Amino acid sequence: MKLIEEAIRRGAKTLSEYESKQFLSEYGLIITNEEVVATEEEAVAAALKIGYPVALKASGEEFSHKTELDLIALDIRNEKDIRAAFRNLTSRTEALVKEILVQQMVKGYRELVVGLTRDPQFGPCVMFGLGGIFTEILEDVAFRVAPLSRWDAMDMMNDIRAKKILDTFRGKPPVDRESLSDILITLGRIGMDIDEIKEIDVNPLKIVDGKPVIVDALVVLNNESL
Amino acid sequence: MKNERKRTEMRQFFYPGSIAIFGVADTPRNLGKSIILNCQSAGFKGEIYPVGRKSGNIYGCEIIAEPESLPMNIDLAVILIPAKAIPETMKVCGRKGIRHVVISSGGFKEFNDVDNQVAEDVHAAARQYGVRFIGPNCIGVICTNSCLCTPFNRFEPQSFKKGKVSVISQSGGVATQCAYVFSEEHVGFSKIISAGNKQDINEIDLLRYLIDDADTEQIHLYLESIDDGKELMRLAKESKKPIVLFKSNVGQTSSLIAKSHTAALSNNDRVVEGALKQANIVRVDDIHDMTVCAKALSLPPLRGNRLVAISQSGGFAVILGDLCERYGFECPELPRKFLDRIESQRRAGVIRITNPMDLGDIFTIKAVIEMLVDNLSLDNIDGIVLSLIYHERMSLFSLDDEILTPENILENIKPVCERVGKPIALSIFTERHSIEKFKRIGIFPVFNDPHESVRALRMLGDYWRGRDYNLAHVDVREN
Repeated sequence: MKLIEEAIRRGAKTLSEYESKQFLSEYGLIITNEEVVATEEEAVAAALKIGYPVALKASGEEFSHKTELDLIALDIRNEKDIRAAFRNLTSRTEALVKEILVQQMVKGYRELVVGLTRDPQFGPCVMFGLGGIFTEILEDVAFRVAPLSRWDAMDMMNDIRAKKILDTFRGKPPVDRESLSDILITLGRIGMDIDEIKEIDVNPLKIVDGKPVIVDALVVLNNESL
Repeated sequence: MKNERKRTEMRQFFYPGSIAIFGVADTPRNLGKSIILNCQSAGFKGEIYPVGRKSGNIYGCEIIAEPESLPMNIDLAVILIPAKAIPETMKVCGRKGIRHVVISSGGFKEFNDVDNQVAEDVHAAARQYGVRFIGPNCIGVICTNSCLCTPFNRFEPQSFKKGKVSVISQSGGVATQCAYVFSEEHVGFSKIISAGNKQDINEIDLLRYLIDDADTEQIHLYLESIDDGKELMRLAKESKKPIVLFKSNVGQTSSLIAKSHTAALSNNDRVVEGALKQANIVRVDDIHDMTVCAKALSLPPLRGNRLVAISQSGGFAVILGDLCERYGFECPELPRKFLDRIESQRRAGVIRITNPMDLGDIFTIKAVIEMLVDNLSLDNIDGIVLSLIYHERMSLFSLDDEILTPENILENIKPVCERVGKPIALSIFTERHSIEKFKRIGIFPVFNDPHESVRALRMLGDYWRGRDYNLAHVDVREN
């Protein structure tokens, strides 16, 4: 909550990716192992701590569309590459990148999306669906009105056309639906509890050994008055 | 106590002992006079008081030109006069002790959304006298139990079929079509209410009333907008009567400039879809499907996805099998011993019986009924889809080798469902006029084709799945 209060105070419209995930992890959700750094040396140290391979991403609330701005370096496997990537990201002319997020590289074929939004009629609503870069093209998503029961959470997973993605897939175990429903129920609870949060996007939510891990997240604040 | 009062308050909209109709004239193009004719031909037994600018006589009623001379405490008024004159007429109603009004006239919100002074004046007059009103911009109420028929469009209410379904419609046109289609499909209806602009009485008030209405077993809604989604969900979750919704106006995206994908993807209809599932409101896509759903919901509960698909035609057995799969059902293997017994009934014995089941030449009603009972009684079977062949000269036979009529057939099938407490979704392959004969009997639902029968079971199964959960967990949320 401190994160939210501070962001509201400084007039932010969103939390940065790092803050968004910190916030969600305070609610007990599993996020990627990651650290924000300001220098090349810090980046190298962070990568050693997290363990290769890592991903580097421009950090800051202004970079909510990093892929479009090409401000991401993926699958970095050694010190030489991390130094090069760091210099590349911080020397862009089109964007002033002051901080870099060093993030555990999560391997998972399956990408889901979950989120929270507010409907003028029904109030906070939770979304679940097929994630990744084609989310907006396939529009394979389902909604439930918060608060969600366990039944609602389990039921909405069966609403998407691609529901088979939750079963055993390319030799990988099926998705742990209980853990997944925990996330959906929690998002609903956040919507009920914290009026200052307008929307939440978790995309992708990757599946690692059957367990969902939040790889990227965006918390949008209700900060219209500022 | 408060609820009891509210219920009696609402009752007069449907069971008035007397009605006043404002806006009647003995001229060819007057619409108000059609309301009188509709009520009379429906068989409405109460007093009718037409009110108009000129006195005279119309359909045996005296037109009252001086509304202050109306008797006190008429139960219901229907107002069909220009919008700007309505506030004054509402006050007349108030002074004369009329507490229930249907405002049929248009020219309000649907015409001019902002700054509508007339709408505000109507509201003020209603509040001043404690008048409740349906509308404006509606055709009001058709009730087959009280024979009230307030629409100003001409009907032949004699052709309306009485039934146990009540319909709330935001649109007068859809309300009208529901009256036709529910009657033609022999589902019938108890009440059809056109709610119009919902300025005072909205779908929530009507729903509350119908949930307690003894003449209503199912409630169907046609809505273009939902005014109080949370309350609709709460009522539906607790309702023991099924609620069915045909929701249109589904195109708009809530916000094109949304920051997150979640908000961008959350167009109102996707949220509505989820909310309806949570509240166990069955969603249908058109008026005909409302009747399909109504028929389905009149069957015993379907508690599971395991069906036996049965027909006397191999073709239809296969078609039914495909449809079962498409709608998420399975056709489990049946015990061999059990199938052998059915096979022994057959004369030719040319096909091995499985599920989907081709009955082949089993044509005695006794064998068919036994087979239905045996199938439904299996622990791993939740229901049956059955498609029978029929022709006046080729139907099921009685024990005395007499050809059975459609009536005989339904009379035999109905008790099977009731005894075992599991549904049979029946379709007939025959000529259209013969299907009509079956449907008209009205003692057991007959679907128009095999596809419809399987779709109907999907609606029924989804309804009971949600209902069993919701009624077991009212107010138990995971927070």
